[in-house]
Amino acid sequence: MTHRLRFGALVTSVAGARRAEELGYDLVAVPDTPDTDTWTLLAWIAGHTERIGLAATGLDVAQREPAVLARAAASLDLLSGGRLDLALTGDHLGEVTAIVRGVLDAGVPGPLRHLGAHHRVPKAQRGPLPAHRIPIWLTGADPDSLRLAGSTADAWVADLALIDAAELAAAYKMIDEAAAEAGREPEEIRRILIIGPGLGPDELLALGADTFLVDAGDPPPLTPWQTLREAPGPAVFRPASVRAKRRPGIDYDAIPASLAGTAVEPGDLDYARVRSTYMRGGSPGLVLRPRTTAEVVDALAVVRAHPGVPFGLRSAGHGVSGRSTNDGGIVISLAAMNTVEILDKSRRLIRVGPGARWMDVARAIGPHGWALSSGDYGGVGVGGLATAGGVGWLARKHGLTIDHLHAVEVVLADGTVVRASAGENTDLFWAVRGAGANFGVVTSFEFEVYEVGDVGFAQLVVAADDPADLLVKWGRAIEAAPRDVSGQLIMGPPRPGQPAFAQLMAVVDNDDPETIIDQLQPIAAVAPLYQQQVTLTPYTAVISNAADGGYHQGAGEPISRSGLIEHLTPAFARAVAELLDSGAVHWFQIRTVGGAVADVPAGETAYAHRDANFSVIVMGADKQRVDAAWAGLQPHFQGLYLSFETGLSSVEDAFPPATLARLRDLKHRYDPDNLFRDNFNIKAATR
Amino acid sequence: MTDYGQDLLFGTFITPTAQPAHQAVELAVVADRAGLDLATFQDHPYLPKFHDTWTLLSYAAARTSTIRLSGNVLSLPLRQPAVLARSHASLDRLTGGRIELGLGAGAFWDGIEAMGARRLTAGQSVDALGEAIEVIRAVWAAGEPGPVHVPGEYYQVDGLKRGPAPAHDMSIWVGAYKPRMLRLIGRAADGVLPSLSYLAGGPGDYAEINRHIDGSAAEAGRDPARIRRLLNINGTFSQFGRSFLDGPAEQWAEDLAGLALEHGISAFILATDDPAAIEEFAADVAPAVRELVAAERA
Repeated sequence: MTHRLRFGALVTSVAGARRAEELGYDLVAVPDTPDTDTWTLLAWIAGHTERIGLAATGLDVAQREPAVLARAAASLDLLSGGRLDLALTGDHLGEVTAIVRGVLDAGVPGPLRHLGAHHRVPKAQRGPLPAHRIPIWLTGADPDSLRLAGSTADAWVADLALIDAAELAAAYKMIDEAAAEAGREPEEIRRILIIGPGLGPDELLALGADTFLVDAGDPPPLTPWQTLREAPGPAVFRPASVRAKRRPGIDYDAIPASLAGTAVEPGDLDYARVRSTYMRGGSPGLVLRPRTTAEVVDALAVVRAHPGVPFGLRSAGHGVSGRSTNDGGIVISLAAMNTVEILDKSRRLIRVGPGARWMDVARAIGPHGWALSSGDYGGVGVGGLATAGGVGWLARKHGLTIDHLHAVEVVLADGTVVRASAGENTDLFWAVRGAGANFGVVTSFEFEVYEVGDVGFAQLVVAADDPADLLVKWGRAIEAAPRDVSGQLIMGPPRPGQPAFAQLMAVVDNDDPETIIDQLQPIAAVAPLYQQQVTLTPYTAVISNAADGGYHQGAGEPISRSGLIEHLTPAFARAVAELLDSGAVHWFQIRTVGGAVADVPAGETAYAHRDANFSVIVMGADKQRVDAAWAGLQPHFQGLYLSFETGLSSVEDAFPPATLARLRDLKHRYDPDNLFRDNFNIKAATR
Repeated sequence: MTDYGQDLLFGTFITPTAQPAHQAVELAVVADRAGLDLATFQDHPYLPKFHDTWTLLSYAAARTSTIRLSGNVLSLPLRQPAVLARSHASLDRLTGGRIELGLGAGAFWDGIEAMGARRLTAGQSVDALGEAIEVIRAVWAAGEPGPVHVPGEYYQVDGLKRGPAPAHDMSIWVGAYKPRMLRLIGRAADGVLPSLSYLAGGPGDYAEINRHIDGSAAEAGRDPARIRRLLNINGTFSQFGRSFLDGPAEQWAEDLAGLALEHGISAFILATDDPAAIEEFAADVAPAVRELVAAERA
């Protein structure tokens, strides 16, 4: 059987729906009644139930513009957590179905345009994307209705009180024929049947339906049909139209059961949510979404079975350099592994999943008076950042994120699960802290975090008529500042006819307003101030600067260059002024490192450029122009920070020679076949 | 000084954002727990970044216990009057009388037209709204004999079965600024619901709103004091008073009590998605305004 058998109950009240939910029904369906608006009752029931599927036996499409109906359906599906089926009745259902599907298909670019004989939708924006692909039910036993159901519907519903078994069989046959004619498989149209309470399992099976809606006033216990409910079915049914979008080279049928239910392929509704990342458009052939370490092990087995297929690893998908999406390859998304746990309150020990975002971490530990400096943006995922370094708002005071890493659990290329810390698998622990993407999938991070009170958060806009002078002065001011102060400087290309300016931001890890002002004063004095705002705020508020909800819709391919530098010398500053003048980059940023970062010996972690005080980042649109402009800066750098460099070939700049030699040895030990390769790839040492 | 002596209502104007899906519901729950009178949601069915307002409102009604809910305001061109009547009456019965009907003639006609509805001129949209109110009241009049007949220019209802009736005497509040719509409210609606940010002359513009409504109500033989004057407001809670609705809660209370006594405004609906602001509005502003107004009225 293609579908698992489902049981539903016809209900007209919350009490009935709750009873059905308690009894283990799969769904409830609300019939049309004269006294209550069906859609309103359905939404009301949704708000009073937790798990059960929701449908009406038929919504009259004459009551709403089809595009409005689609948005209403998306809303109810989102609010109810993906529990909605949409049953439509009335006229011109082919057109209505097309419009509803067109609006719900938010992953399709451009607005929906439908100019039909009966409905005109000139250019409706698509979306919101529902929580799941909402099945559309049609009804009606006349030939036209059956043909429409066979050619377009996801389900066809009939009432056994109005149709006998022979007529039903004939109707199913006609649906099958219409489906075949439309190039569909008969299984794509689920058969939903409203039944009375008296039928036994064998009688039901003989009817050929896969979903039974029991019409019995109060929903009866499901015991008579228990045997049918236990019959297994596939986790996911994908119709031919979805399978047609699969990519070559991927054995979709070999995905293990543990991952099949959550895997996303190009024809799936969820594909729009997972295909792209923050800055990069992607079209992967398969996205695996493990929820546990064991499932990561399974996912890596899938990757190993596909040598030569691109493989990206994604925590939250913010990465600039990390290829956490691709074209036609496999992506392992760790987004579901996003827990933040407190392991030991007295030692401030926490355990974090790789898919958590840093603002989730801050929100979880902030109430304890704790923080952990990460990057400068709350939407960044834990996994990518905490295996590279982590240059954040408190870097000069508290060092890199990896400097507070206590232990990791890693799934290695061969599927082995190991723990690494200062006391176990110490080589691996060293490598993970700066080059982790080459060595495995970190499935949990244990950090020892620290106490942070309210902080001063300054956002200044200063004149940048002489950018070279500004850079030198800002660099000196930062280096002279107490470690409480970390921050960044942002500039863009000159804009004709407008004054040049720079944004200076700083966090002062001190909760005394006077101290904050004292410490900021020399920074504010580097150039005339256009704007200033300084607030005393929890660290959590500083890092909670990303949106909740939504999904990445990056497009194209970012071009980003990174360099690490000890001092902002006049010669370097002049080179920057030329780079800005060239107009080749639209984003120029310097973040402060140094301070506590430099307290850690260079050999202690794979992140080795400990004496750099500044991390320089540029982004542009045209690779040739960016490289030409960047060439003037290059001689000044001592290395680069791999998270911000999209040119992945410069491994020698990312790691000093001694570090790289050790990494190559370890790559040979831990990933000799180079499974983890779509990143700053370290070549295994040859033996 | 115009004070119609109406009881005061305090509410929230919540962005019906679709992502995160439950944000708006959670804010309604905050408002409910804080003891506010109203949770309201704007309605822009052409914008996919928002929930369908009626679906959100019905779901939020299920998750709250005492707060009243309404659209602020529902876009009539994309919502049929008979369906509005039935859905509101249904939810009012399900909630035990917690629903009001906020209605607007339609703004952003490009978006409305893009969804497939007909573009109307400003004048046409007032007439259409008048017909819609007629249909809605006729559907609600479940006890009247015979089916609904409204042979309008914009809505033709012929032989529709009446009912259900709402559980309570449901109000129709209309978003309005201009004379023709205000006069329609005086004749046929139960309240006016403008936004302070759209009053070009500030709160003082309310005098003109009242003048039109009161004049038209009197002509229609209706008691102006039974037409509620609502206002969407926005502001900032800050430690020191700076300007109108920018200061501590005590200053807010004085500002709003002034509007209640000066212009007879009896419902203040705060536009915010900040739970802390909702709680402060409920705990510190609402009781203080009620106290100030009661003292003045006594």
